[in-house]
Amino acid sequence: MGSIRLDNILFNKVTVNFDDRFTLSEINWTIDPGQHWVITGTNGAGKSALAAVLAGVGEIESGTITGLPQNVGLVSFEAQAELIAKELKKDDADIMDVISLGTPVHEMIFDNCQDPELAHALVEKFGLNQLLDRAFRKLSTGETRKVMLIRALSSKPDLLIFDEPFDGLDANTLIMLQEHLASIVDTIPMVMVLNRFDEMPTFITHVAYVDKGELALTVDKKDKSAFNELYQLLHLKTTDLQVPEADPANTLPALDPNQPLVRLNQATIKYGDTVIVDKLDWTIERGQHWQLSGPNGSGKTGALSLITGDHPQCYTNDIFVFGFQRGNGESIWQIKQFIGYVSTALQWEYRVSTSCKNVIISGFYDSIGMYSKSTDNQKKIADQWLALLGMEDRADQPFNKLSYGDQRLLLIARAMVKHPPLLILDEPCLGLDDMNRQLVLALIEKICEGKETTVLYVNHHAEDQIKGIENYLGLKKNS
Amino acid sequence: MANYFNTLPLREQLEQLGKCRFMDMSEFADGVEALKGKKMVVIGCGAQGLNQGLNLRDSGLDVSYALRPEAIAQKRQSWKNATENGFTVGTYEDLIPTADVVLNLTPDKQHTAVVNAVMPLMKEGACLSYSHGFNIVEEGMKIREDLTVIMVAPKCPGSEVRAEYVRGFGVPTLIAVHEDNDPKGEGLALAKAYAVGTGGHKAGVLMSSFIAEVKSDLMGEQTILCGMLQTGSILCFDKMVEEGIDPGYASKLIQYGWETVTEALKYGGVTNMLDRLSNPAKIKAFDLAEELKQIMRPLYNKHQDDIMSGHFSKTMMEDWANDDKNLLQWRADTAETNFEKTPAGDVEISEQEYFDKGILMVAMVKAGVELAFETMTAAGIIAESAYYESLHETPLIANTIARKKLYEMNATISDTAEYGCYLYNHACVPLLADFMKGIKSDVIGKGLTVEDNGVDNARLIEVNTALRSHPVEAVGAVLRGHMADMKKIV
Ligand SMILES: NC(=O)c1ccc[n+]([C@@H]2O[C@H](COP(=O)([O-])OP(=O)(O)OC[C@H]3O[C@@H](n4cnc5c(N)ncnc54)[C@H](OP(=O)(O)O)[C@@H]3O)[C@@H](O)[C@H]2O)c1
Ligand SMILES: [Mg+2]
Repeated sequence: MGSIRLDNILFNKVTVNFDDRFTLSEINWTIDPGQHWVITGTNGAGKSALAAVLAGVGEIESGTITGLPQNVGLVSFEAQAELIAKELKKDDADIMDVISLGTPVHEMIFDNCQDPELAHALVEKFGLNQLLDRAFRKLSTGETRKVMLIRALSSKPDLLIFDEPFDGLDANTLIMLQEHLASIVDTIPMVMVLNRFDEMPTFITHVAYVDKGELALTVDKKDKSAFNELYQLLHLKTTDLQVPEADPANTLPALDPNQPLVRLNQATIKYGDTVIVDKLDWTIERGQHWQLSGPNGSGKTGALSLITGDHPQCYTNDIFVFGFQRGNGESIWQIKQFIGYVSTALQWEYRVSTSCKNVIISGFYDSIGMYSKSTDNQKKIADQWLALLGMEDRADQPFNKLSYGDQRLLLIARAMVKHPPLLILDEPCLGLDDMNRQLVLALIEKICEGKETTVLYVNHHAEDQIKGIENYLGLKKNS
Repeated sequence: MANYFNTLPLREQLEQLGKCRFMDMSEFADGVEALKGKKMVVIGCGAQGLNQGLNLRDSGLDVSYALRPEAIAQKRQSWKNATENGFTVGTYEDLIPTADVVLNLTPDKQHTAVVNAVMPLMKEGACLSYSHGFNIVEEGMKIREDLTVIMVAPKCPGSEVRAEYVRGFGVPTLIAVHEDNDPKGEGLALAKAYAVGTGGHKAGVLMSSFIAEVKSDLMGEQTILCGMLQTGSILCFDKMVEEGIDPGYASKLIQYGWETVTEALKYGGVTNMLDRLSNPAKIKAFDLAEELKQIMRPLYNKHQDDIMSGHFSKTMMEDWANDDKNLLQWRADTAETNFEKTPAGDVEISEQEYFDKGILMVAMVKAGVELAFETMTAAGIIAESAYYESLHETPLIANTIARKKLYEMNATISDTAEYGCYLYNHACVPLLADFMKGIKSDVIGKGLTVEDNGVDNARLIEVNTALRSHPVEAVGAVLRGHMADMKKIV
């Protein structure tokens, strides 16, 4: 066997248009010799599009691609559909009233075949012997797929591109195919689009994650933790899990539907002459999702802490929250029961070595750590959250041993576990890497789909937006 | 004023000392109800005053601060603490007459003057509360007959009182009613509501007496808590330097070593702390501790005797009257010790290394905890109380040494504790001189060498049994259980 013929394939800020239906934007990507990639992402994210670009499909609007090989073997549903459509057209083109048989399978495989010996072997392996004389268009989907695979594999390609190669193959063929792929890893670079991580062949070295038409992340499989996070992200994005129900035993006092959730009237925080929050008026109605933004030091966290009751000066302000005019004998626990809260500061303060499951359950008690016995139902709900996060296996692990991003996810689950009327997310992505940002945003979007929680999202970039939020409050830096 | 304890007949002294009951959670079912709508005025806004006040207000209670006029005029830290946190601040004349409960959270030394100043302003039938009973028990302060007198004493520094509350928890707390001053029989209800308001009920409350609180608190703080750690720091440091160990390393091993080894104590008692050692090291530590206990027992007895007789408070009050001459001198001397003057070196010491190379420190903690506990219980103090005043608080004090050595410890603890700590240290350093002559770097600084690795099975079983059967372990297991899931705060 020869060695890999490929040079670097280099994408430099590439934007590709597909019949104006879809755009891949600003792709930067390098495929080095010796690498085998999986492209993954949610449905409609653009992963098949990216694979197709490698095969020369799509109209490049800007940017450059260098090093693309001439001879690319492509197997995809699109290519398969195209081939079948072509066959059917031949049929239509027949003016004679003769029944056309269409192209037989052996012609499809062996005409223009670069490596007939290999093609024969594969026909044998894939069990196509009996079908060689059959018309290609009469084959089942799975059988057509096998023909496509043999054509691509025996074309002596410089690069193989498979879009969901394992879909619709019977178990036996699957094993044969995987064996064959494993035997050519040293000679032909491969890029495959896969939805399911568990189908990933062991020889894959890198994973590209595509989201909303962009190449959002690339992960070296050797980086175990990044790889696991990507797995978790896909799990969150692609499974149809629902946000777990609230605990029926944990009933909150009813709120007057005619009153706002929160009303700050000329709210002010100051230390001596230093003003942190300056005469802020802010009313949050139920169901009104808000985004609060402003530069560092503009008092975002201060304003929030007046709402949560964490700021001692909430007692010297005119603040109405969840039916309480503050400073009239209510306790902070009566306020906190209505709020789910996540921030970087909370994560720092959550320095209790309790289990991941207990961290989620502590949301029922608004406590950091667990100081009461949890009920069976609370445990069950916590397990459902862990499943949603793809973290079932970590239920009993100590929270403080988790990665920073996993901790953040758990704290969001903790904040949501009681289905609070108000969910406050104070810079929930702060300090997270790209992957974990994606994870957190995916979770928040999942939560925003629910109806009973009003979301208050704080971010110092006004442009970092979340679907479903329509009210904006911008704070300015106090001099 | 006479020492109150000494005015009681023996029968009553014993009864008061033995008063201590771990309360059941169900006894706090009324929450803060007994204090709802009542006006609570705190005097002093320091470590306890500020943090207790923040908790009480967050529990829905009405809290304001009465400060002395100079603190208000000069906008001192106490004034800033109260106003920046949004509390109403006023003079005694402004606020005390309106108060239903007056919380005296000034330094113990000032209590006589403060109580004499506020008592005439207090309204008929109001309540006066303390967080330490020194003024009542040792100074014999007499409180107006119509006033209810209670104590709510968190067994932690003020910063912990707040931090635990914010987490949704609390700190172990001791409550008491001064039986001479409970005219309406409402003292207990008020003390319970107050404990709930600070979050203490979640971590466990001991129903005790003023006398048991004072006699046990003084004993714990001057022996194991502060005294033993100070003496141990000085002796271990000098020994390591003498043995040729790098002073920076020695300094670090001690500064952070107390905190590390007592962290194990906090989670699983003396047994767990020794279980962190290898088998040969454990036996070594056990033997050293036995020897230390034998040498130091008379000193622990003397401290307890002086506390019981009132001799300790008498000499300390004489020093107060003499402008703190001794205290200030001893404080200056401590600053001059080699340990204090040698900064911790920039070396990596792993958690386990603190145990492996600090065998003597482990032995000192074990000896001090057990001796203090044994001495207190022998004097009639109930085991629960003795546990809180010895083992429970040791890690909290060790944390202060980790922050800024002995200086920080002595700055954080009360003047009473500091005074007692120096007394202990002055007696204990010479007492251990001979013992220290026999100490080598294998038990402090370097650790046992591999050849020492063999142990005799029978001896190991003996040691393990002895460790586990000490009475402080039994009561500790129960009380730590009450602190539920409270797990390691990293
Ligand atoms: N620290 C602990 O770990 C702890 C634990 C349990 C119980 N306790 C008890 O809690 C009480 C308070 O101790 P602490 O540690 O909180 O004391 P602290 O931090 O020293 O605070 C004392 C406060 O009282 C004020 N003050 C001092 N002298 C005064 C005077 N003559 N008249 C009026 N106000 C005065 C001070 O303010 P200005 O000087 O500005 O006026 C300061 O705000 C003591 O009874 C102590 O035994 C302490
Ligand atoms: Mg902020």
